[in-house]
Amino acid sequence: MHSEERSGRTPTLAAARWPAALALVLALAGYLVVAQVRTEWQIRRALRIPSTQLEELAFLLRDQERGRAALESQVTELRGRLAAYEKAAAEGRTAAAKMSRDLQELRALAGITALVGPGITVELNDSTRLPRAGEDPNKTILHYSDIQGVVAELWAAGAEAISLNGERVVGTTGISCVGTTILANTKRLAPPFLIEAVGEPKQLVQALRRPGGAIELLTAFGFPVKVAPRELVEVPAYRGTFQFEYASVEGKE
Amino acid sequence: MWLPIIGLVLGVALGFLFSVEIPLGYVKYTAIAILAAIDTTLGGLRAQLEDRFDLMIFLTGFVVNASFAALLAGIGDLLGLDIYLGAVIAFSIRIFDNIGFIRRDLIARHMKGGR
Repeated sequence: MHSEERSGRTPTLAAARWPAALALVLALAGYLVVAQVRTEWQIRRALRIPSTQLEELAFLLRDQERGRAALESQVTELRGRLAAYEKAAAEGRTAAAKMSRDLQELRALAGITALVGPGITVELNDSTRLPRAGEDPNKTILHYSDIQGVVAELWAAGAEAISLNGERVVGTTGISCVGTTILANTKRLAPPFLIEAVGEPKQLVQALRRPGGAIELLTAFGFPVKVAPRELVEVPAYRGTFQFEYASVEGKE
Repeated sequence: MWLPIIGLVLGVALGFLFSVEIPLGYVKYTAIAILAAIDTTLGGLRAQLEDRFDLMIFLTGFVVNASFAALLAGIGDLLGLDIYLGAVIAFSIRIFDNIGFIRRDLIARHMKGGR
């Protein structure tokens, strides 16, 4: 109504163009609104949050990413530490294995484990001949020193373990006699005496048979001596106890 | 009189047909462009009602206002400050102003026409 009035006054130009310009601007506005609303909807559908909170979320995200990076570096550090611990544990295990090996050796050395191996047996007995009239009967029976001599010679020849009538000869074993009985590890022994030794058999036999050795002496006096190499000798474990009442390890309180 | 409505419908239809996903960083700019378009439309309507419509002023107003608002938004992005909110507020005030004037003009016209 108004535009018609106006169009009457000013010929066509403005009257025709203003709706066109308005249409152009409105078209642009409509297009933009639709695009914006669709974008917003998409954001909401995808994230379930309005885009006005996006900046806040971006901050949060950056924060979390930084935290994640820190945690990742922590993870690598912890992994490194774990590897170090595992290495240390493995070393501890090898140390423990070495210690238990050492322990085995020391137990064998101390004589508290039974040992087997090639070796020899020596059988000694009192003389079978009767003492002549007026002769000291001591000369026809074995003395503890004879056995001691044989054992000492075996050690010297490289024997690794020795038993005497089933009694293990260890570091504290004393061979002695009380009256007519021979003692070893405080056990009474009676003839025949069987000495078993683990070691290189040939070497042990040769050492015992050397001229002027204990065996020669014993055979010269008529004692029956049997020395035999064996493929397998079993030496039992020491059954006594070790007691240190006066001795203590140096440097240890 | 039907031409602006046809334009609006055409724009909306185009928006639905050729959907452009606006990158998140540019959502601000489109929002300002929308406000500038609404402002310009209402300003033009008011000028038309007050018989002082000028095509040049109408179009340059739209282009310059939108451009300046976009510039403000850009500077705001650089400074890390939401300066574009200033443009939003300015546009909003103008829009409400124009709506008020249009309302009064229409009421005055209705009274005159009714008599």
